[in-house]
Amino acid sequence: MSNKKNQQGNTGALSEVSGSVLVVGGGIAGVQAALDLADSGFYVHLVEKSAAIGGGMSQLDKTFPTNDCSACILSPKLVECGRHLNINLLTLSELVSLEGEPGSFKAVVKQNPRYVDPEKCIACGTCAEKCPKKVVNEFDMGLGKRKAIYLKYPQAVPLKYAIDAQHCIWLNKPGRCGMCEKVCPSKAINFDDKPTEHMLEIGSVIMAPGFKPFDPSRLDYTGYGRLPNVVTSMEFERLLSPSGPCMGHMERPSDGKEPKKIAWLQCVGSRDINRACHGYCSSVCCMYAIKQAVIAREHSESGDLDASIFFMDMRTHGKEFEEYYNRAASEGVKFHRARIHSVLPSGENDNLRVRYAGEDGEIRYEDFDLVVLSVGLEMPQQAIELAAKAGVSLDADKFIVTDPFKPVSTSRNGVFVCGAAAEPKDIPQSVMEASAAALEAGRILAPARWKDTKKKEYPPEKNVYSEPPRIGVFVCSCGINIASVVDVEAVTEYAKTLPGVVLAQNNLFTCSQDTIDQMEETIRKEGLNRVVVASCTPRTHEPLFQETLRNAGINKYLFEMANIRDQDSWVHQNEPEAATEKAKDLIRVAVAKVRGDAPLPYNSVKVTKSALVIGAGVAGMTAAVSLADQGFPVTLVERKDDIGGHARKFYRTWQGNPVQDYLASLVDTVKSHENIDLKCGVSVKGVSGSVGNFTTVLTDGTELKHGVSIIAVGAGSFKPDSDSRWNYLYGKNPNVHTLLELDQKFIAEDSSLSGINQTVFIHCVGSRVPERPYCSRVCCTHAIDQALKLKELNPDMDIFMLYRDIRTYGQRERLYQEARAKGIIFIRYDLENLPAVTEEGGNIKVTVKDPIIDAEVELNPDMLVLATAVRPKVDVHDLAKFFKCSIRADGFLMEAHMKLRPVDFATDGIFLAGLCHYPKPMDETIAQAQAAASRASIVLSQDEIPAESITAQVDPRKCTGCAVCTEVCAYNAVSIDEATEKAVVNEAMCKGCGACVAGCRSDAITLKNMGNEQIMAELETIMDNW
Amino acid sequence: MLEQKLEIRKLRTKLKQHMQEAVPDAHIDYCLTCGMCVSGCPASGIEDMDPRKFLRLLVLGQDEKLLETDWIYSCTMCQRCEYACPMKINVGRFVYELRGMRPKDKRPKNLQRSCDLQKESNSTGIPNDDFVWVVGDVLEEVRENEPEWADLQAPIDKKGAEFYLNQNAKEPTVEPEEMVPLWKILHVAGVDWTYSSKWWDGANYCLFSGDPEDWEKTVRNQAETVDALGVRYYINTE
Repeated sequence: MSNKKNQQGNTGALSEVSGSVLVVGGGIAGVQAALDLADSGFYVHLVEKSAAIGGGMSQLDKTFPTNDCSACILSPKLVECGRHLNINLLTLSELVSLEGEPGSFKAVVKQNPRYVDPEKCIACGTCAEKCPKKVVNEFDMGLGKRKAIYLKYPQAVPLKYAIDAQHCIWLNKPGRCGMCEKVCPSKAINFDDKPTEHMLEIGSVIMAPGFKPFDPSRLDYTGYGRLPNVVTSMEFERLLSPSGPCMGHMERPSDGKEPKKIAWLQCVGSRDINRACHGYCSSVCCMYAIKQAVIAREHSESGDLDASIFFMDMRTHGKEFEEYYNRAASEGVKFHRARIHSVLPSGENDNLRVRYAGEDGEIRYEDFDLVVLSVGLEMPQQAIELAAKAGVSLDADKFIVTDPFKPVSTSRNGVFVCGAAAEPKDIPQSVMEASAAALEAGRILAPARWKDTKKKEYPPEKNVYSEPPRIGVFVCSCGINIASVVDVEAVTEYAKTLPGVVLAQNNLFTCSQDTIDQMEETIRKEGLNRVVVASCTPRTHEPLFQETLRNAGINKYLFEMANIRDQDSWVHQNEPEAATEKAKDLIRVAVAKVRGDAPLPYNSVKVTKSALVIGAGVAGMTAAVSLADQGFPVTLVERKDDIGGHARKFYRTWQGNPVQDYLASLVDTVKSHENIDLKCGVSVKGVSGSVGNFTTVLTDGTELKHGVSIIAVGAGSFKPDSDSRWNYLYGKNPNVHTLLELDQKFIAEDSSLSGINQTVFIHCVGSRVPERPYCSRVCCTHAIDQALKLKELNPDMDIFMLYRDIRTYGQRERLYQEARAKGIIFIRYDLENLPAVTEEGGNIKVTVKDPIIDAEVELNPDMLVLATAVRPKVDVHDLAKFFKCSIRADGFLMEAHMKLRPVDFATDGIFLAGLCHYPKPMDETIAQAQAAASRASIVLSQDEIPAESITAQVDPRKCTGCAVCTEVCAYNAVSIDEATEKAVVNEAMCKGCGACVAGCRSDAITLKNMGNEQIMAELETIMDNW
Repeated sequence: MLEQKLEIRKLRTKLKQHMQEAVPDAHIDYCLTCGMCVSGCPASGIEDMDPRKFLRLLVLGQDEKLLETDWIYSCTMCQRCEYACPMKINVGRFVYELRGMRPKDKRPKNLQRSCDLQKESNSTGIPNDDFVWVVGDVLEEVRENEPEWADLQAPIDKKGAEFYLNQNAKEPTVEPEEMVPLWKILHVAGVDWTYSSKWWDGANYCLFSGDPEDWEKTVRNQAETVDALGVRYYINTE
């Protein structure tokens, strides 16, 4: 079914469909959804209830598993959101009502007064400095104070102060204070500000209200609220954060001392149907606790911080999580498989005592300086009310209801959801869903793409050729990330002395909106024609600063970055003086380089508006349909003769929905879709070109032109060989099966199953083992669901599940509880005590040690089921080579950034979805496929996209036509002109990698702005101080 | 803790089923073996047992082991485990069931004797007349020796008093002066109270020996006495 028919059916004439979308919630999920939509041709109203966007992620110190500084990777997205021409940011706002139908909703949004005119506020902070009213700072989880006029956090977007009406003296008793109004240099204070109501006409809605950390004060035995050194994990994030109440020095609340011994207690407010009332698992706490333990050890001055994590099941089920866990354990973080009953004061030093029992039941006591409660995630009351206003249903846990086959769709047509409001989840999963929700919100509005959007106009660029260099150097403190190690003032003073530098200044956060705005003004006012920013990495921040140059009317290539954070302050923490010298060196080199930089043309290439999707499993088919429904032609390539992939072997989703019915309808849609060209029995033979213009040759000789590619080639399942340690009689005894083999029996309605008396499942067969260290994520839930299905068939069947950690994350925990309630017995084993499986006269015997009663249990199952690992495909290597994608050591494909670009590859225009990324269940696969389609839509919706400007150029006088360059070019961008017999570069295809430059024997090829003179200038100046 | 290998061909959990029938919302199977109960239980480790092992044996059908263990007399049924248990499992309640299932001649002798005596009159077995006499004697002594308490009261069987007070039987028997501080408090507070001359024992040993009929009888005897006196409030000192 094509989208056009869909649209007409729902909303009548196309002209009535709105080209705008409402996104509610300005956390990472809402921000990502807004950016995807705005970049693919829709106008977005982004509604945020607080004074600034950023959500929970902005409060975190570091993020797992990359240990990236959370604010640093988030900030560019926020700034982009704040500056985006097609995003209308409505802070201090809330949805009042939503009426209408998909394609033409009417929303009423109430915006509360800020009392500070954002047009006038320059965020100088004088108001807050003078404001006499101190208020508990909710951004610091109540650990610190702020003023009644405040900035939510240092990198806030918008970077504008706001007055807290509840606490402001003037607003409560007019005439009493008014200090801010008196001192504000830009006359921005407006005590008469009133609430405003916005009537928005939109076509679809995305809900991203986020989560609230569980409040442990209702669990009195934790000591929270009574014992000052018992803190929540979110409070601990603030204690670790450089922008937090103790500037990242990790001080405990009772006496400000640095804790030397910290305990983390897991599952506080999760997996607890007693006093916490939350039966679900919060999914993220195990990983964030490990991360906090690792980071706290790095933070500790002595470096010998004693970190203990008390847990029940360690749930490190995400990509690279298990490796992170293993690394933390080997580095000395202690893991105790025990839950703590109560935290008690220990003596008079404010320390805390915990009593705990090992699995053997032996009681131990231990004292800690600080106890961190790993609190779960819950739906905030405001979000519950919001859901009611938007007319979407909630489940028993109060999360927004979705469907496993429509993972971002709510109960109301045209209203979508992403992030933790649908189920507790981590940042990558939220970002993925955000893109998926953007896809769905845009899919129904495809005919109105570019209808409501505005176009960016840059000022004309100043010709700098005739001018002497006037270089401005901006030295960033990055809060304390740089300034706590590097003497930024000395560095700034030094920069002023460098040749060509006419201005150098130091900023707290150079990437913050106000500094960016001020930089733009400075460039104009001072007539700068070259800029150096000494801060973090160009990988995340270069585009932002280059955009600033363009806004200021100079070419964006007249810019260099010096990375004095990642490559300096972070790696030389213990040598501040040497680090300061190194910062000077790096800046001197950048200045030497920028002096020779020339303005470059802004190249662009026309986009071929079609897609190639590789792999016709659920991921590939979903992605294909998602693009085709928007009117983009898709070629879907499947290596096998039949489509459907892994899903053909699945009985039902964990929510209980039959997979085969869904699959059959998806296959039908794919086969009959007018915009999908399905090619079975072929695979990719070669690829050339780049984003916007790929040419792919298939094994049947077909040549395809396409603008983007989505790789969704799936994965395989591990089948233990007869000599494998994990064989467990697989392939030897007819009653030993893998999970998928048992699913086949369910699908075939095999009646012999109900006659079984005893079934044993063994978990982690081939996962979390030395040769395959990752967790396969899906098997715990799948196995438990199968056990429940067996209980449906025969309630008297004895079922034993031998497991290492049960990882039924999120709401999957409900299945685990149901399984226990039905009498299914779970026995834990570990790698040192593997279950022994033997055979006597065809009968299977499984012996395992129950650690609780410390006794061998001998089981006699009629059927043994092995939860075997999901294994990456070996042949993915060729494909990865064709598309220049990276593969991780474990064999899964590597995305551009694990946290914030989970479906993009580092190579532009290539996206990934499904099991080739990492093991994942059906609902997550579908969401990821929709996300990949969303990211691909951004490219396909443009007529032209920017191409590389730093390209190779040939000096024909020196070129001998030897053609070495054509051979070394990985992008097929260089060729020999038949007429002149000289090399020529196709600028649209050149990536500026420099391989041809290095390969050229006659020094005929150079890279723009990377010429010999510039490189030599850099090298020579490095030696200046040696 | 088990001497031999536990062989399971067909899982039989008679005791668990009994508990599930006897105790509403027993949740035995819900146990996550997280150990929260063990870390909070004062009786953990005694008799090589703790609440988690107890539940595990129930689930694995090790009924004999449970019927034998004397740990059920170390567990005080304080419900500390249930308070924090994420699955709200009340191990103490199962312990109570097991205590009741234990043949009377296999129970701790003193416990059973106290209950048996209480069913007759009170847990120490002293005659009711002795209690009345001791109260009067102690009261008289206080009035004589402590002039400021010359009008102290310790009424017995006072009809229509506002509060009824029972008494731990150990005090009139071996430490009678221990009764006085409470009398003084009630006096200063101006409370109109009374003891009774029968079923005055505030302890209920039958609750701990595990027989529901016995402890119900004990409670009922006292309740009827209180009702007969027409007293409005009941103060249990135990």
